[in-house]
Amino acid sequence: MVTQHNREVFACATNPLGLDGIEYIEYATSKPQALGQVLEMMGFRPIARHRSREVMLYRQGRMNIIVNAHISALPRAVQPTETPVISAIALRARSAAMAYHHVIEQGAWAAPTHVEVMELNIPAIHGAGDSRIYFVDRYNDFSIYDVDFTPIPTVDPHPPALAGLHFFGIVQYIGTDRMEDWTEFYTRLFAFQLLPDNERFGILPKGRVLRSSCGSFYLQLIGPDSEIGNVEGDELLQRVGFGAPDVPAAVAALRARGVCFISAGSHQTDARGALTQNYLGSLMFEIVHDERHKL
Amino acid sequence: MKQFRSSTDDFGMDTITLTGPLPAKLQAVRGAGFSQIMLLARDIVGHDAGVEAAIRAVRESGLRVTGFQVLRDFEGLSGHLHEYKIDIAKSMLEMCAALGSRVLLVCSSTSAHATDDRDALARDLRKLAMLAVPLGIRIAYEGLSWGRTINEFHDAWDIVCRANAPNLGIGIDSFHIFATQTPLTKLDALNPQKIFLVQLADFMWNEIRSVEERITTARHFRVFPGEGVHSDQVAELVMRLDKLGYRGDYSFEVFNDDYQQMPMERVCARAIRAAEWLGEDVLRRSVPLPNRMRLKSNGPLSAQGKAK
Repeated sequence: MVTQHNREVFACATNPLGLDGIEYIEYATSKPQALGQVLEMMGFRPIARHRSREVMLYRQGRMNIIVNAHISALPRAVQPTETPVISAIALRARSAAMAYHHVIEQGAWAAPTHVEVMELNIPAIHGAGDSRIYFVDRYNDFSIYDVDFTPIPTVDPHPPALAGLHFFGIVQYIGTDRMEDWTEFYTRLFAFQLLPDNERFGILPKGRVLRSSCGSFYLQLIGPDSEIGNVEGDELLQRVGFGAPDVPAAVAALRARGVCFISAGSHQTDARGALTQNYLGSLMFEIVHDERHKL
Repeated sequence: MKQFRSSTDDFGMDTITLTGPLPAKLQAVRGAGFSQIMLLARDIVGHDAGVEAAIRAVRESGLRVTGFQVLRDFEGLSGHLHEYKIDIAKSMLEMCAALGSRVLLVCSSTSAHATDDRDALARDLRKLAMLAVPLGIRIAYEGLSWGRTINEFHDAWDIVCRANAPNLGIGIDSFHIFATQTPLTKLDALNPQKIFLVQLADFMWNEIRSVEERITTARHFRVFPGEGVHSDQVAELVMRLDKLGYRGDYSFEVFNDDYQQMPMERVCARAIRAAEWLGEDVLRRSVPLPNRMRLKSNGPLSAQGKAK
């Protein structure tokens, strides 16, 4: 039997896993410095290095991004390539063990992890494509980075967010006829809520949007373009969306740092949102109007 | 190119029918004019050059994989038996995905250790379906006619409905329907979008008197559609499914000891005759319309043009 570490976790029927937002998003790339430059242009700062692997932590405000250039020996893991790929999402949960065992019992795949001595064993499951979903419950007084990372000297460990940027959501590309399958995955395992079709954010309203059970971030599922035909299409986490209380102000601040935004067809920057150009072959970020600052 | 090539596109053979090494089976099935094949796990694992080579052979064969079989005695177990079967299921799912198969066939449990609680059976299949989601696989749940609790397709459908998972559907096998003499009118209650696989076979005698005889017949004496004594029912089955809106694959699930000691080409020739009978004479799928458009079947149920 699973030991119930925290009996309050199941107190909320709409959030059975006790989720509490995104702790970090991880990219895999064999060109970590190139990705780091793009992240710095987006307002992130390098904060710390992993103790045993070629992994860097970037941060702004409450957002953490991990850049992983370590070649994994684990099966079904994203391998670093020149084009960065979102290789994991780490979700905050009131009890990581409870959340992990709950989803395994429902039919999630346990993803093996490789831990060196004195490092944290962060539980993970397989997600879209070769990506993973981690559960993290140490994010208040004590953080996972305190154990696994070494701070970069003289660097402010808590750089403020540029223009109030915060994690807003993730866009996942899915295969043909897979909308119901992935909706089931997130609603059944994580108790995400499906939004009505008329409730959309930003300037890219395609597909289906799910709200996390904690209400603090969104997941957008986008299938292959039906006009192109019956294209199978790879499944992957395609981009990260940042929320901003004032999109034009955020866009102006990012432009001043050298970020270019797409301005073509329906992808025009406006008060609802904006889309950066594609960097390093696959990397783009979306800015979405969102008044919430605390995320 | 065979004359009726496009009318037989939705029909495929099963490696279970043939004897010989996997590459030879693939070549014989392709050579006979089929475009798809159902794969038995044993044919993959038992390949002389290993599983990786077997997967490569399938992917290079030019054949589409209809589905992968078979996960047995999965649902209704508890404790360590459940955990054991979850491990087996994961292994099957990973092989299924590696082969490019979108369907895993699961037969209803025969295990005396399994519960008959239908909600528990549904819960286990829902879990299996969830395991299949990241791999892009659909689970076809088939009521084996000697299944302990679930032994007719409408019972399997009940479990599928209880589980209510988008990638969990039903697998239909004509043999089991004829063996249990389940009325074909019950097919009309199915949602055609949730029929993930249809397997067709006939046999040579009218009645099966015992469960033991049913198992023996199923495993040794099946024949291709049009070769047995239930041709009218086979025709009615596919016409009912077609009318219902089923547009998926039909796989010939023919276990036959005689066919296993015949040259593969001879067996495949019998199979293609069955496909031509079903495609041309029963479903009247004429050639060649673009984008797989199909004429609806019409006319009376008839097996007059059946392969013999």
